[in-house]
Amino acid sequence: MVIQMDRNLEALSLSGVGAGYGKERVLSSLSLSVKKGECLAILGENGAGKTTLFRAILYLLPDIAGTIRVLGRTVKTPEDGAWVRSQVGYVPQSQGKGKLPISVFDAVMLGRWGKSFAYLRRPTARDRELTEAMLDVVGLQDLRFRDCRSLSGGQIQRVNIARALVREPLILLLDEPTTYLDAASRDVLTQLIDQVRKKWSLTILMISHDGEYARQLADRVVHLRRGRIEEGLEAVS
Amino acid sequence: MSIWEYLQIPVFQRAFLAAVVAGGTVSLLGVVIVMLNLTTIRFALMHMALLGGAVGLALGSTPLAGATAAIVLGSLLLGPFSERLRLDTGIIGAFFMTGSIALAFVLFYKAGVPALDVFGLFTGSILSLNQSDLWAVIGLGGVILLSYMCLFREIQLVFYDPEQAEWLGVPARRIKNGLLFLAGLSIGVAMKVVGALLIDALILIPAMTAMRLSRGLLQILLLSSLLGVATAAGGLLISMLLDMPTGATITLVGVGFLGLSMLFRR
Repeated sequence: MVIQMDRNLEALSLSGVGAGYGKERVLSSLSLSVKKGECLAILGENGAGKTTLFRAILYLLPDIAGTIRVLGRTVKTPEDGAWVRSQVGYVPQSQGKGKLPISVFDAVMLGRWGKSFAYLRRPTARDRELTEAMLDVVGLQDLRFRDCRSLSGGQIQRVNIARALVREPLILLLDEPTTYLDAASRDVLTQLIDQVRKKWSLTILMISHDGEYARQLADRVVHLRRGRIEEGLEAVS
Repeated sequence: MSIWEYLQIPVFQRAFLAAVVAGGTVSLLGVVIVMLNLTTIRFALMHMALLGGAVGLALGSTPLAGATAAIVLGSLLLGPFSERLRLDTGIIGAFFMTGSIALAFVLFYKAGVPALDVFGLFTGSILSLNQSDLWAVIGLGGVILLSYMCLFREIQLVFYDPEQAEWLGVPARRIKNGLLFLAGLSIGVAMKVVGALLIDALILIPAMTAMRLSRGLLQILLLSSLLGVATAAGGLLISMLLDMPTGATITLVGVGFLGLSMLFRR
């Protein structure tokens, strides 16, 4: 299926979306639209449904009401969901300090899973090239053999971003990107996000509870309250 | 008797082959137990095995058949159960552990099951394996190797960051439950090979040693497997040479490797 991309086309649109876990509805009649190339920040308190919103967009929840369109394609079936996930890079809110020893290179390359390698298909030369390229972009080339468990919070966040970018996404989802960062690492991250956004004209959706940071990075800021978007409260030039 | 003379005897041949195969493959699941926090679950499975043994005897079957059935059932149920109820595997493990041991004691009393026969499960021996046990060990070993070969990157993702794995579309839950099931079967095999009290020697200790020395999942797996073979086969040979109990000797060799690894700090 070929999707014609128009500069003004919406990268993402949600209308009347309801979603949750079991009987608990976290999002209700949520509508939101994001233009291609736009950087939108979604602010909200803990429990407002920010992460659930991302999970709905990525088709990771069992029953989702309403309509979600991503890059012009309506997301209805698990196949649509897999397609969305192949177009989207997701930067999780994680410290990434798991128990498994894993090199920076491997941790980034795993972002290609489902894109070119999976199960019996092994990573290809192109997967390795792309991984090298993204390590360059985020400035971790020198640390490629380092164990992720020995990295600082800022370095881990750069690994997360490289792993999202290695999927060659059109849309980037950032989940509380600054949670574990000090002020200096935050500035580095802002520059990095700005740089990759311009480089690939990425559409960015960021959820945050840090209003100041959101306003600094985003074109537009909306609030998520009780599972609904309240728009127009704060427009950033 | 020299080792070569021992190895002319079918019982020892079978034991040696089982030690090599079980040591090389079952140890690959130790990393699963550590990574997925299944340390409590493995205790729960052992206690469920005890209950299964009691049920087996009460129904006129053998304790080992009952124990194996209980482990298979337990490892199939524990993963999905904990997800359904949104409880962590630790609590579920504790629930099943305490519950099954209590039920087993009720059964000992009510059905007149001789408790000592059931506790015999805790002292397995690699020298008591028959031909079909050996086939079971080889079959399980094959499935474990095949799982890692087909799902290496998926398993790496699930261990490294389960949340990432899930959103990338990796069937993380099914992989976790599958690995838990294999770990359960391995506990069953290890009970037969070294006895229930010493299963860690075969499953957990080689992996723990490997994890101290490795830089990535592939290294952990290769080293676990090598150490598993060295532990099981080495322990068996040493026990024959020095006339020591096999299960305990195998365990001591494993613990010895772990001790040595503690001298090296990465």
